[in-house]
Amino acid sequence: MAEKISRRSFLKLSAAAGSAVLAWEAIQNAFAPVEAQAADAHLVTSENDVIVPGVCTLCTAGCGVLARVADGRVVKLEGSPMHPINQGALCPKGQAAPELLYNPDRLTSPLKRDRATGQTEAISWDEAAALVAEKLSAARDAGHPESVAMLYGNTRGQQRSFFSRFMQAVGSPNFVSKESLNVAAAKLGMLLTQGIYALPVYDLENSNYILSFGANLLEAGWNPQRTISGWTYGRRGRPTRNKIVIIDPRQGIHGAKADEWIPIKPGTDAALALGMAYVIIKSNLFDSEFVHEYSFGFDDFAADGKTHKGFKNFVLENYDPQKVEQITGVPATTIARLAGEFATNKPAVAILPGKGGLLNGSIEGVYAAMAVHMLNALVGSIETKGGVLTQQYFPLPDYPALPSDAVAKKGLAAERVDGAGTLFPLARHAYQAVADRVLEGYPLEVLFLYDANPVYEVPGGAKFVEAFKKIPFIVSFSSFMDESAEHADLILPEPTFLERWGDDHIEGLGYPGIALRQPAIAPLYDTMDAADFLLKVAEKMGGTLAKAFPWKSYQEVLQFRLKDIGMDWETLKELGVWLVPGYRYAKRGGERWVNEIIGRDRAKSPRDGHFDFFSRELYALLGKKNKADLASLGITQLGDGVALPHHEEAPVFGDGELMLNVFTLMSLGPKTEAANMPTLMEISGMTVGETWNSWLEMNPETARELGLKDKDMVWVESPAGKVKTKLRLVKALRPDVVNIPYNFGHTAVGRFAKNRGVNGLELLNPASEPLTGLAAFTNTRVKVSKS
Amino acid sequence: MPKWSMVIDLDKCVACQACSVACRIENNTPVVPPEEAELGRAMRWNDVFPMPINPTEETGEYPKVKTQYMTRPCMHCENPPCIKVCPVGATFINEEGIVEQNYARCIGCRFCTVGCPYGVRYFNWYKPEWEAPLAEHLNPDRVEGNGVLEGPAERPLGVVEKCTYCIHRLHKARAQAEAEGRDFRADEYVPACVQTCTGKARFFGDLDDPNSTVTQLAMSSRSFRLLEDLGTHPKTIYLREG
Repeated sequence: MAEKISRRSFLKLSAAAGSAVLAWEAIQNAFAPVEAQAADAHLVTSENDVIVPGVCTLCTAGCGVLARVADGRVVKLEGSPMHPINQGALCPKGQAAPELLYNPDRLTSPLKRDRATGQTEAISWDEAAALVAEKLSAARDAGHPESVAMLYGNTRGQQRSFFSRFMQAVGSPNFVSKESLNVAAAKLGMLLTQGIYALPVYDLENSNYILSFGANLLEAGWNPQRTISGWTYGRRGRPTRNKIVIIDPRQGIHGAKADEWIPIKPGTDAALALGMAYVIIKSNLFDSEFVHEYSFGFDDFAADGKTHKGFKNFVLENYDPQKVEQITGVPATTIARLAGEFATNKPAVAILPGKGGLLNGSIEGVYAAMAVHMLNALVGSIETKGGVLTQQYFPLPDYPALPSDAVAKKGLAAERVDGAGTLFPLARHAYQAVADRVLEGYPLEVLFLYDANPVYEVPGGAKFVEAFKKIPFIVSFSSFMDESAEHADLILPEPTFLERWGDDHIEGLGYPGIALRQPAIAPLYDTMDAADFLLKVAEKMGGTLAKAFPWKSYQEVLQFRLKDIGMDWETLKELGVWLVPGYRYAKRGGERWVNEIIGRDRAKSPRDGHFDFFSRELYALLGKKNKADLASLGITQLGDGVALPHHEEAPVFGDGELMLNVFTLMSLGPKTEAANMPTLMEISGMTVGETWNSWLEMNPETARELGLKDKDMVWVESPAGKVKTKLRLVKALRPDVVNIPYNFGHTAVGRFAKNRGVNGLELLNPASEPLTGLAAFTNTRVKVSKS
Repeated sequence: MPKWSMVIDLDKCVACQACSVACRIENNTPVVPPEEAELGRAMRWNDVFPMPINPTEETGEYPKVKTQYMTRPCMHCENPPCIKVCPVGATFINEEGIVEQNYARCIGCRFCTVGCPYGVRYFNWYKPEWEAPLAEHLNPDRVEGNGVLEGPAERPLGVVEKCTYCIHRLHKARAQAEAEGRDFRADEYVPACVQTCTGKARFFGDLDDPNSTVTQLAMSSRSFRLLEDLGTHPKTIYLREG
């Protein structure tokens, strides 16, 4: 960083010897004729320019990039015009990627850390692999391979199946995704209605009416670039302009750019969606064919010798717009108008939130996700142009069958460390719960962290520091010494996405596609791809592990898995992208409809191609439970009501009056390392004119009542903690909500991230939702006072 | 002779700031120390900001409030006030309408930063520095000559810099065409911000060509220029929202 220089010292400096030459030259130049100089001006550039295609990893979108390598240095990234998600565009994170590659705080070799002293020393990859192999073998020899766990975040392409295979070969079910922090609520909403556990794909380009529930569409979300492309095409790329309505307590950029912003009371999205369903049903504007031929539980029905309540009567009895107005704060006339517009401007689509979404928090969030997705079903927008599509993939060759292994078999049958499927019956993953479970006695011997920094990124992350003390051996694959890597025994830095091999499923458009990531330059440092490292470990372990992983490198794994996509390896390397554009719609009721579109992932109810308005999965799980049991899950309904989406008052954490919303920014995004990219830190506070610092957004009315002024330093306090940050007043925000941006307040990572602002997650409820294992992101109430 | 112009459709701009960062990486604008950035001395030739700048001053009262966002490169005025106040000819408008900045001639008087009504001129209070190895990513492209230093070239202490519509890219595209023995086409040249725009809100081209996209868009009923009444005649043209 340049030294701080006052104007006075600057003038002195100018007079100093070095600058005097410059000044003299400038004066000489100043007297030369401009025209003569201009005639002489010519381009000076690099001698050797190469363009290497790849895929960005700075968020979950996976945009195709073209790296310009000038004389061996990566000097610029452009979006790849071949890649259908970004179509040549590239967001600020991708543009700033050279600051990731050449970051001064990157780890340059594998490190071993002494827990007693905290000192680290460099070790070789061979030593590291031998050490990991020894620990894994010990866990297996002891008959407890389930004591090995891997927490993972953004795994791309074949990475997830590769890591998952590794964990299976070791014999542990503990392969835990961080999706319980972000997209799991949306996926559960999909599972309990449409019967597939996957993120929906929205055909935004062709939609005439977009209704977004809490999805921070233009800043965060699981695929921000995809949303932006669809959004702007719908505005100006076609003869008719679409209408976009944003339902979110915070206006943000999406609300500002939309046609209408509905500042809903937080935690009441289910009621609003059901209020709209009421109007659509009452006005007979629903898609009768879909509802009657391809759905279950719309009307009352008979089963097990009794009559069950269907969605239609349940909604008509409970959610008339006047009542919904009381719950949501949205006027009944607005609800009726939105419902009418939605049902008569087809194709229309109702969007679920992902990261930055407002549904995670309580069972209400899952019911809300169901209710929102049911709006799509009501107007017949499932599997239609301008509606909701289902992501398709290339069929890839299966990995060879795993060798039979009694130890692994026993381990895989063990309960998961996060309690998914047991403690949290509906959860696939409960990332944040791992700390509690370890502290409560789940024995973990070895923990891998891949793109996982739970100490920072989980509400109440400090408990992970305690949990880590109980885990004897922790391995982090982080490229930076982040808050979690600081507690690891081995830190095995991965190269950045510009220095390694990898692939990407192109997701978000429906049709299948593969993008290839390849090294733009050779790794700068002594780093290794995590997959390559695990291959080395498997080899050292020998036996079933070595048999399960016959490949020499991860690149070989990719070549094996991608051999049948219809594109040879050399051409794929050259183009970077291979896809089969054009979404194949499944015919309602046809074979693909039943196998792929509706009901595919149901476990406890029929896969009959019927969309559930009455969730048979939920009924199987909860239908017979008594009132007390349901109350402990936060559900006030009984019997049929548990299977139908409805509004539940979310339990509140803290006795403050302001709901705290920790939101994700376009600039800093979801990944820890972005906070150490100086340009992203500099531009992060654009909406309020802040830089290099976090802030608390508050409505000016609320501030007036609390006696606070813009730019005051304030304490924000919840039962979980207390942080001090700068207050910024924002009119376009509900008065009962305050916001803190995510990815500030790091205590580690590097010089640019460290000690810049506060981490709002420290204030959030550290609990997990009892049924689904979702992190409680949205039910914290804080107090704000002048510091 | 082309007349270069940029059109920005605010209906498609989603204030993502990709233009700001693309510009920085392409043109080697330095990251100033955080304390300096807080004083408003960040060097972003293309900045994105809310209108009004202080969100508390938004017009309307909750919930009838709508924030607006603006993105602002150099206007490349046809009648640029900045060049009139430059005592040394360091900034000038070339035949193709680009307002250039020659670091080699600039004496750092900062008249131009005051003369520019759009605030798009930035002064180097420091010698630009990058902590090792960040300097590795610096763009090697620059425009040089006897007494000429322009484009992404590393700036000396105490000179003014500004958006040049990525003039080195124009030189490069022309050199490429020449090397291939053919005529240069206007669509071969596009500034970094236009190329990266996530919402495809930016268009670039020749305003003298009646068939170019920018000419067509400039005639749109939605088009406007910033501070038109000053008579600066910007060639960066906006299309309003809605």
